[in-house]
Amino acid sequence: MRFTIARRGWVVAAAVMAGAVMPATAQQTGMSPLDLSNPAASRQDANLRSFPVPPTVTPLERLPVGKLKLPAGFKAEVWSHGHPGARTMVMGDKGTLFMGTRLIGRVYAITTKDGKRESKVLLQGLTQPNGLAFRNGALYVFAINRVFRYDNIEDKLDNPGDPVELTDKFNLPDTVHHGWKYVEFGPDGKLYVPTGVNCNICEVNPGIHGQIRRYNADGSGMEIIARGVRNTVGFDWHPASKELWFTDNGRDWAGNEGPQDELNRVAKGMDGANFGFPYCHANGIADIDIRRPNPCAGVVMPAALLGPHSAGLGIKFYTGTMFPKTYQNAAFIARRGSWNREKKFGYDVVVARTQANGTATIEPFMTGLLDEAKNEFAGRPTYVLQLKDGSLLVSDEQNGAIYRITYAAPKGGKN
Amino acid sequence: MTAVVALQRYGVLAVGVIAMVLAANSTGAQTMPIAERIAQCGSCHGEDGNSRLPDVPSLAGQPAFFVMNQLFLMREGVRRIEVMTPIVKELTDGDLDALSAHYAQLAPKASDETIDPAMVKQGDALAQKLRCASCHLLTLAGQDQMPRLARQRVDYLFSTMKAMRDNQRPGTDTQMSSIVAGLSDADLTALAHYSASR
Repeated sequence: MRFTIARRGWVVAAAVMAGAVMPATAQQTGMSPLDLSNPAASRQDANLRSFPVPPTVTPLERLPVGKLKLPAGFKAEVWSHGHPGARTMVMGDKGTLFMGTRLIGRVYAITTKDGKRESKVLLQGLTQPNGLAFRNGALYVFAINRVFRYDNIEDKLDNPGDPVELTDKFNLPDTVHHGWKYVEFGPDGKLYVPTGVNCNICEVNPGIHGQIRRYNADGSGMEIIARGVRNTVGFDWHPASKELWFTDNGRDWAGNEGPQDELNRVAKGMDGANFGFPYCHANGIADIDIRRPNPCAGVVMPAALLGPHSAGLGIKFYTGTMFPKTYQNAAFIARRGSWNREKKFGYDVVVARTQANGTATIEPFMTGLLDEAKNEFAGRPTYVLQLKDGSLLVSDEQNGAIYRITYAAPKGGKN
Repeated sequence: MTAVVALQRYGVLAVGVIAMVLAANSTGAQTMPIAERIAQCGSCHGEDGNSRLPDVPSLAGQPAFFVMNQLFLMREGVRRIEVMTPIVKELTDGDLDALSAHYAQLAPKASDETIDPAMVKQGDALAQKLRCASCHLLTLAGQDQMPRLARQRVDYLFSTMKAMRDNQRPGTDTQMSSIVAGLSDADLTALAHYSASR
């Protein structure tokens, strides 16, 4: 049962080499057109609207941890709860888990005492502080265009004091739509920061929006690493190749079937490559509203498709020893789940197994939050984080909780 | 059983009263009684929840989640409105629930502003293009986190959409900023007249 998604046939090993340039004519063959079978799907329809995130606490007994389904040997438990709007997670050197949010505007600090979690509101009143990074004892907070650095934060969780403000140094656009950030330090020590497009589908100024940038930690030395990126709020580096892999959310209001969300790779030597927005989506689909000749010319195709409207957010490559060896260097991706789709889709965690040629295959990992028969969801996974012991944390924005996934070899089985 | 009978006899009015009583009992803290609180809100937002003051929104018939969520975000300091700040600071979670339940069951009435039929027609066409009804419903009565627009004040609708367009309105789904991006003030005025007329 837990592999029903795979049988539906969306699991796709991308047929096109990532990093290769797409021939201009290739979107004519082997590509699915935008689904226009249901005209209502691109018009006004109350079945295609977004869902509220409760700002209030979901009680422990109402958390859907009992519904979670995992492969044999894996187990899920509640690791922390009572922090509404739970999204991004970064770990401090001294064991504090910092958590970013969107609408509720909070940053939480979650500490462990005697094996129990205590969460407190560290910062509040910010505009969409989804972007958190930790380096040399300092917490970096990105709230749209505002950037703050809290030095030695783990020594002053009760009173973080005034931060160093780096807003002017980073000089990010102040547009809010797709302006909430995922940020992370790369293996090169640079801070990677995306600038999502401030629309569903439109022409943007490519000098400002639709990029992944990298900066020195003080906001100097900006370089553009990727262009034509609609809205990435999750990326990580492959442990062996050190190449950047990122999730990207496809456009809405173009039908139930897509264009599908993407898993992309910035191949070595391809810094600054174009990933297609707004002219070319998914595996080479021309946009229906913003047209130009040869829309996919020069566009890097995705390593894999992540499903229609599935909202792949957080991604982390697994490097621990707790899980079976087959998960080494595989990536876990949290899919928040669809809104602009009549039949709900996603609301799970998948595994991306990447290949040396830059493609990837996607398979289910944590399911059970989506009731397909009722077309209802019980939770929305947003980010993943590997703990030192090799277990995996998954944040659930809808319920303000974090689940911990552990593995123990089944009796008689082999790891 | 008593509650059910009361609901049948007094209709929606009873819902608000029961919610108020429940909320008042559950908080226990030394706070302003909810009836006083409602009177305080009413001095600007209208006793019946229909505002007669420029740029002050009507709350009658707003979805309960919407009012609760916005009061919550004001209390958090995410959405900052100077005149509201000292008031929302005092609100307990019980107050948020009681106030939102109270306003959800009040009847929205048309604003006393002049509504221009030509603007309504223009706004209607634009609203269809922008798919307003997908979230706010065809009646524009709103749902969940998305507010009622029908019978809202024209001036408030305009200034709110303008703030969203100009990135001055935290505490809302950012989709609104993307939807009104690039619209002229005249477009927003037309949308405001159309919405208020519904």
